[in-house]
Amino acid sequence: MASQVSAGYDGRAIVHGIDVEANPGRVVSIVGPNGSGKSTLLKSLVGVVPILGGAVSVGGTDITNLPPEKIATMGVGYVPQVDDVFPPLTVKENLEIGGYLLARHQVHERIGAVLEFFPRLKRMMTRKAGKLSGGERKMLAMGRVLMLSPSVLVLDEPTANLAPLVATQLLEEYIRGFADAGSTVLLVEQRAKAALRISDWTLVLGGGRVVLSGRPDDLADNPVFVESFLGGGAHL
Amino acid sequence: MSVFLSSLGFGIISAAVLAIATVGFTMQFAVTNVLNLAYGSVMINSAFVTYFLNIHGHLNAWVALIGGVATGSVASYLLNRFIYTPFQRRNLAPITIVIVALGVDLCGTFGLQAIVGGSYFSYRQSLGREWHFLGMYFSTLQLTIIAIALGVMLAVAWLLRYTRLGKAMRATSANPNLARNSGVRTQWVISTTWLISGALAGLAGTVFAMNTGVFEATSAQLYIVLLLAAMFLGGPGEPYGAMLGAATIGIATELSAAFINPQYKMVIAFLILLGMLTFRPYGLFGSERTA
Ligand SMILES: Nc1ncnc2c1ncn2[C@@H]1O[C@H](COP(=O)(O)OP(=O)(O)OP(=O)(O)O)[C@@H](O)[C@H]1O
Ligand SMILES: [Mg+2]
Repeated sequence: MASQVSAGYDGRAIVHGIDVEANPGRVVSIVGPNGSGKSTLLKSLVGVVPILGGAVSVGGTDITNLPPEKIATMGVGYVPQVDDVFPPLTVKENLEIGGYLLARHQVHERIGAVLEFFPRLKRMMTRKAGKLSGGERKMLAMGRVLMLSPSVLVLDEPTANLAPLVATQLLEEYIRGFADAGSTVLLVEQRAKAALRISDWTLVLGGGRVVLSGRPDDLADNPVFVESFLGGGAHL
Repeated sequence: MSVFLSSLGFGIISAAVLAIATVGFTMQFAVTNVLNLAYGSVMINSAFVTYFLNIHGHLNAWVALIGGVATGSVASYLLNRFIYTPFQRRNLAPITIVIVALGVDLCGTFGLQAIVGGSYFSYRQSLGREWHFLGMYFSTLQLTIIAIALGVMLAVAWLLRYTRLGKAMRATSANPNLARNSGVRTQWVISTTWLISGALAGLAGTVFAMNTGVFEATSAQLYIVLLLAAMFLGGPGEPYGAMLGAATIGIATELSAAFINPQYKMVIAFLILLGMLTFRPYGLFGSERTA
């Protein structure tokens, strides 16, 4: 999907020469310390941050530096780390904007499908998104992006601020579920252990570069990885 | 008829004109992030296009108004396209746009004055008969203006709440990046917002001129004070707030004109604005994150 991508702000690269290969049915996770460039990498893939070198493609189509609204039409859905909903809009309106590219009757249909997925949202359709709890808000953010049934899901720390149980459920049921249903999932996750458990491949970023990558089992055997990411969580 | 009731009547009409103007102004601010201080000059230039069509084009004033509305719409679109957007692209401090807008306002007003001169103008239009309600008198013209304002309010409320475009406008206002990630072409939404809000400026300018009866190139020069006061009273970016803010400011300024001194209209509006900024900076109805 991404090859040799460098990207950053104001023409200054934050991430350098990154390769990401993600395929349908697979979860690729990205872990790394705060400020290592995980969000910047995802933003560059979805068109929010300019790509300064390298190329990104989806299903064989080049999407490098296309505007985000164009990338959205190509089946790529993105849930940002922060500002992931429209606070003054109601839950229903948030979902409608999620389905902005669909015909009116499809919007209705997809809202039904999304509510099957996140039944808790059913009771709060007329509430403003800004008034939801952290967990409800994340469900809405995920629901919004599912409106277009994306074939590639790009998720930036979807479990941040969630209670451990809810986080595990989100990762193991929903996010793994999307991949099992045939989507490609690219996941940035602070909970390294949980991320490894649901991933098919994991990249470790450090200082804007890939410092390690591999299958979760192999990484779990790598002493450097274990020490910095699985060892008691002191680094988080 | 008591002074109170007659000035309340004036206040209601001023409020109707101000409501049309404020809704457009607040929409611009919320969706496009530009505090368009040149709004008053767009209004008065549009009013003069209506005048030209009315007097020199021999059109009925209500038909000529369409030309004024189109002028406001196109002028605002061009203003954004060729002045505000290029400045915004450069990522300058927000104050830059405010200064640019102020410059545009001066050019718009005094450029117009250079063309039409310093004299006074009026439309060729009848006021219609007098209607008597609850101790207040209104001309048919004034009632028509109030009806137009109500119609505009309903139309804008409907646009924002029920249409795809309106929801996209609110989404763009709340979180433009997320809107783009959802497939909303925000540049198109913003351009459309300028067309619509500019049309409201053109409409407001023309009914403002109709209502004052006699106007000149600089008549709307201080109108921005009323707009700012009404917008902040209702909460920036809150269209319903703008309507209530306009009602409050329109009526308060006309009552103060009757009971204190007409010279102080703008001062009263400005004091209300200062009070709002001090005690309720997000408006009576606004919240920190505006719609
Ligand atoms: N809008 C911006 N403009 C300039 N620099 C930025 C911007 N956003 C982030 N950065 C810088 O880019 C670097 C990487 O940030 P990024 O958000 O990608 O890190 P991250 O790995 O997602 O961190 P976290 O785990 O805290 O979310 C940081 O040094 C940050 O200061
Ligand atoms: Mg991040």
